[in-house]
Amino acid sequence: MNTVATHEAFEHPALFYRTEQEYVDRTVSFVQEGLDLGEPVAVAVPGPNLELIRAGLGADARAVRLLDMTVAGRNPGRIIPGVLRAFADSHQRGRVRIIGEPIWAGRSAVEYPACAQHEALINAAFEGRPVTILCPYDEARLDEEVLADARITHPTVMTRDKESVSEDYDWRSVVARYNEELVPAPDAAVFSFGADELYAARAFAVEEARRLGLAGQRLADTELAVAELTTNSVVHGAGRGTLALWARAGQVVCEVRDAGRLSDPLAGRRPPARGQIGGRGLMLVHYVADLVRLHTSDEGTTVRFYVGS
Amino acid sequence: MVDVSQGDDGLGPGRGAAVLEVGPLTGRPGIRARGEISEITRSPWEEALAGLARQHADVSYVELSEVAFVDVAGVAALAVTALGLSGGRVVVEHPPPQVPRVLSLFWPGLGRIEVAPR
Repeated sequence: MNTVATHEAFEHPALFYRTEQEYVDRTVSFVQEGLDLGEPVAVAVPGPNLELIRAGLGADARAVRLLDMTVAGRNPGRIIPGVLRAFADSHQRGRVRIIGEPIWAGRSAVEYPACAQHEALINAAFEGRPVTILCPYDEARLDEEVLADARITHPTVMTRDKESVSEDYDWRSVVARYNEELVPAPDAAVFSFGADELYAARAFAVEEARRLGLAGQRLADTELAVAELTTNSVVHGAGRGTLALWARAGQVVCEVRDAGRLSDPLAGRRPPARGQIGGRGLMLVHYVADLVRLHTSDEGTTVRFYVGS
Repeated sequence: MVDVSQGDDGLGPGRGAAVLEVGPLTGRPGIRARGEISEITRSPWEEALAGLARQHADVSYVELSEVAFVDVAGVAALAVTALGLSGGRVVVEHPPPQVPRVLSLFWPGLGRIEVAPR
């Protein structure tokens, strides 16, 4: 089945590479091809790889937007609005070319489901837009399961000297598969809230997060994120919900559960119009957190976010 | 000041419930607010901003030194109001930290708003 035809404007190849030299050769030629065509080009890859591309481009690097993906895309949930759409939307005329490497060896087992969902959702976010996003995968260091997922989330795969249509392409199945149930932590501090307890829920979160080690900007961001999620529960999630906080592996984990169902897979990743008042709550959480995990079903929705101290 | 508190449990602003008092500044164009700006107090905040926009000439002031918290939609209402002005600017005085934080995330470089920090 040729699935490329249904995404004729958007191109989203995965690049499987094995060596540093292969990485540099393929990415630098991809960037230079874009520059030769007059296309705006951005590169968002992990720091060491960014330096390889920068060195390979030489003086041409000045014409390219370069971002360390371990910073800009630490939380994979903010890559679509904060990196990809931010660049593509600022260049509305003609094709835009981006290298995005959101999955690297070292992504944790807690992060990976959100990374795979992000790669899948890129297809929905850019359908019909003249954008090319090349996603490198380190074939030598990533698990076979990750590479198999990449064949499902990318309509085409580039290996060595050829680009082929992926017979496995089916991005929705990856969104569904990693919509994993989130089991509550037994040691969490828990607070149930309704519309009258929004202030108290926020105060509870601040007190607990501070006790668990957050301070300064991270504590302030946690307060803001909890305010948005608890408000969403009251407005969209049957009027009430449950807030829980605990510490795990050096991070504070905050979770809000309610009885609503999130029907839009791109919720929190689709930038609202500049003049629109609502619709930024979940995106705010993606922007300030180190990781967001989400589970939604007919039984309810859980949003869990992680903040390092 | 117009008291538009809702669900006040007698503990006063910033303690037991979401409360917002908002009214005009004296001696200069603009509004001042006290309490918190969130879902519960959204309506009076947006009405006050609409009033500010109607009377805006060159510079309007939004005095927030007694506001303890503003959520994302509250900051959005402020930004959208400023974007809709035909000219001039809005000076936001002494806002809580959520205001510059949310402006920097969603409206970086918005020249229509000048923030005078706490």
